[in-house]
Amino acid sequence: MSVIFGLAAVIAFLGALGVVLSQRTIYSAMSLVLNMVALAVLFLLLDAQFIAAVQIIVYAGAVMVLFVFIIALLSPGAEERLRSVELRLLLGGVGAVAFTLLIGRLTLNGITVGAHGRLHGALGPFSPAAVNAHGQVQTLGDQLFTTYLLPFEVTSLMLLVAAVGAVYLSRRRRQLA
Amino acid sequence: MSGLFPGFLILSAAMFGIGAAGVLVRRNPIVVFMCIELMLNSANLALVTYARYTHTMAGQVFALIVIAVAASEVVVGLALITGVYRSGRRLDLDELSEMSE
Repeated sequence: MSVIFGLAAVIAFLGALGVVLSQRTIYSAMSLVLNMVALAVLFLLLDAQFIAAVQIIVYAGAVMVLFVFIIALLSPGAEERLRSVELRLLLGGVGAVAFTLLIGRLTLNGITVGAHGRLHGALGPFSPAAVNAHGQVQTLGDQLFTTYLLPFEVTSLMLLVAAVGAVYLSRRRRQLA
Repeated sequence: MSGLFPGFLILSAAMFGIGAAGVLVRRNPIVVFMCIELMLNSANLALVTYARYTHTMAGQVFALIVIAVAASEVVVGLALITGVYRSGRRLDLDELSEMSE
């Protein structure tokens, strides 16, 4: 259990570093795929099978194909030779470490988590045993279409707006030229 | 089992920090979008972690919604990038300081 967590966490971390540090855009995209697959493994460890499947299908499938397609279409290549690259990377590294320490400190302070990593407060009804007895996807679907129906509907509206916006942005502007 | 809880959160914080640094440091807009994806992913990891360890379902539901938000953000963002590219300008965020013209 913790061996798998360690492996997946290291792979996810290296993938995240690769996204930022790669000089070529396509290497960044491949590092992001690595990061997302490792994250899917972590979701499986967290008893979120449906999220793991969606992560693979939507992110590593659809979104990354879109990224690779755009990279191939525009072929930015190796144009990026950063001026003053050391200063930027140094500042970025210091910022990333400081940010990580800040968030880590805030999430692991004594308010949400006490000693021994135990969460304070009462636990909800969806223990892993209860969820698996009803079925993980079934439980998620029940919740999505009852308690969280409004966010779900707003999400569908947002997808419609995004599709229309993408078509509008990428149309040919004959009348302007 | 709950011993791994801080590990998930620290990984999530590290991924968010790397993504935020990438948004600030990199100048290729495509890479900047990938760094935004990285930050959304780290938020997803934190949501699912809390959902698992507090025995609630809200985290997983909102992780799904975050995935939908990320997908539509990528669609609109990449349409913008192709628009900029077709207008004949270099894909460099330091030079693209204004949206107009």
